[in-house]
Amino acid sequence: MRWIIVLVGFLGALQASAQQLAAQDIIRKAMDHYRGQTSYSEMTMTIHRPDWERSMTMRGWSEGDKQTLVRVVEPKKDAGNGTLSVDGNMWTYTPKINRVIKVPSSMMSQNWMGSDFSNKDISKDTAIIEDYDHTLLSTREEGGHTIWVIESVPHEEAAVVWGREVLEVRDDWVLLRQEFWDQDNELVKVLEAGQIREMGGRNVATVLRMGKVATPDEWTEVRTEAVEFDLALPANLFTLSNLRNPRQ
Amino acid sequence: MGGVSRIVAVLAWRNLWRNYRRTLIMLLAIGIGVWAMIFMSALMRGMTDQMVHNGLAVLPGEVQIHHPRYRSDPSVVNSMPSPTGELLAALEKPPVSAWAARVRVPAVIASERDSRGVTLLGVDPAAERALGSLPDEILQGRFLTDAADRGVVLGASLARKLDTELGKRVVIMSQDPDNNVADRGSRVVGIYRARLASNEEQFVYAGREVLQQMLTIGTAVSEVAVSANDYRQVDSWAPAIEDAAGDNLEVLTWMELDTFLSSMLSMQDGFTLILMVVIFVALSFGLVNTLAMAVFERVREIGLMQALGMRPSLILYQLLLESLYLLVLGLILGNGLAWLTIKPLESGIDISGVAQGMEMMGMGTTLYPALAYQDMLMSTAVVIVLGLLASLLPAWRAARLDPVRALNKT
Repeated sequence: MRWIIVLVGFLGALQASAQQLAAQDIIRKAMDHYRGQTSYSEMTMTIHRPDWERSMTMRGWSEGDKQTLVRVVEPKKDAGNGTLSVDGNMWTYTPKINRVIKVPSSMMSQNWMGSDFSNKDISKDTAIIEDYDHTLLSTREEGGHTIWVIESVPHEEAAVVWGREVLEVRDDWVLLRQEFWDQDNELVKVLEAGQIREMGGRNVATVLRMGKVATPDEWTEVRTEAVEFDLALPANLFTLSNLRNPRQ
Repeated sequence: MGGVSRIVAVLAWRNLWRNYRRTLIMLLAIGIGVWAMIFMSALMRGMTDQMVHNGLAVLPGEVQIHHPRYRSDPSVVNSMPSPTGELLAALEKPPVSAWAARVRVPAVIASERDSRGVTLLGVDPAAERALGSLPDEILQGRFLTDAADRGVVLGASLARKLDTELGKRVVIMSQDPDNNVADRGSRVVGIYRARLASNEEQFVYAGREVLQQMLTIGTAVSEVAVSANDYRQVDSWAPAIEDAAGDNLEVLTWMELDTFLSSMLSMQDGFTLILMVVIFVALSFGLVNTLAMAVFERVREIGLMQALGMRPSLILYQLLLESLYLLVLGLILGNGLAWLTIKPLESGIDISGVAQGMEMMGMGTTLYPALAYQDMLMSTAVVIVLGLLASLLPAWRAARLDPVRALNKT
């Protein structure tokens, strides 16, 4: 009899680790899906506050997990401002002072261009894959799609303040929702995706809205106008000299 | 002569108690004056002692060794190698009683709600304990167990501002020598309380080895703090450390590291003396007045003594002796009072009512008066010297009386 119990236990463990792997795969695929091997996108970021609102139009490039470049196109007074992030380090360029400034570690948890995204959100976008343990919480059907709800708990010594994150991923790898929970199990902020359309040959959530739960009338929305995936990018795109002197 | 001076001494003593009410009042005035001098200087000494001690606990150590550029730019680039060879030998032998090598870098600590700039201290708890630079009190949890402890210890005030608590994870961020972001998550294993809330918010303790690993600096440290347990004697042993450290390191004593503290200390002695003189100058008017009165009452008597052949110098002597008795009795009374009032207060006076103001001066919410025998000696010297000087005038006038006129005075 005993060997049956052992076998059942073994299978159970095997299944658990398979499931964990599956959850990690889903996250990996979702990240790859919206970043592609390489990507180029045009987007508008709207920062909303109770007493004011402003929008910026930007162009962004990404390659792999660790290289991102974003440049502001409009409004005029911010045009040319650029942010380059490579390997978790981040630099900004402001044409008005003609300086490339490395964002010091002390500023990494500050907001990015006044938005509800932090510098860390921008530069460590995909760190969630390796820095967290992922488990599949539940699966549900909605509008002809399967939606996976995945709980991601950061590793003990990962540089992450959150207690856990909960992600919802649709079966065409669109990330629908990302919740940031604190260590008291209280929801702090939510990234929500909306208006999923086909764009650049993939289904893409064209609206991403980040907002804190405590202040519902303050949010930042990124609306993707156009996106291209897996295009050839020049080798010098993600360099400091290109940040300062745009060549594209 | 011996007989004469004994007679004069007896006369002076008896004269003192002829108008015992006046003498008692004067005695009380001198006693309270002396008490005030000693009590005030004990309070001041307590304040400066505490400032120096607090300052040295924060520095820490009486001597510090740094990379020559560390003090102008306390970044991780300006680290120094861990002490070895000659320097290590100098640190291990007396009079050095404790030394600690620590990593000290500016950093940011972040919780889910907030992030703040802090000074991150990578310490070896055993060495810091010997140095006396550990936080005053652990409110919750524990302090780090060793240099490889992976947790962090925060001040209570900082924990409150970050909205975090014991057992939660926080992220510490700094940068490595190549300016890359160096960060890691750490669990809060302890919450400490410092005497000064500003220290609670500034210092975050982590294991030294853990920080060295995070900052990728091998075994390098930011500073070495050295103590020999007596901050006044530091000049006698600091040069030996400086020789051993060689030319590539900067060795400074606490007087050079914190010039404010050292000037406070030398100012205090001068200030105490001034305070005593001021109190006594006010007091001496009363003393002179009393003596002048005593002389005025006894003009006929003094004339008689002179007529009977007493030399003026003996009259001067008698009056000065009378004044001396008064002063000595007053001193005994004052010192006794001071001792009786300060001793029970040495465990501390709660001044939390004015704590915010005191904190700006680098002090805590409790004042510990320090009774120093040199203050008692100084007040005694001031009282005797100035008291006798003040009594010289009425005594001199009494000695110069013309016996004929004095006798005829009605």
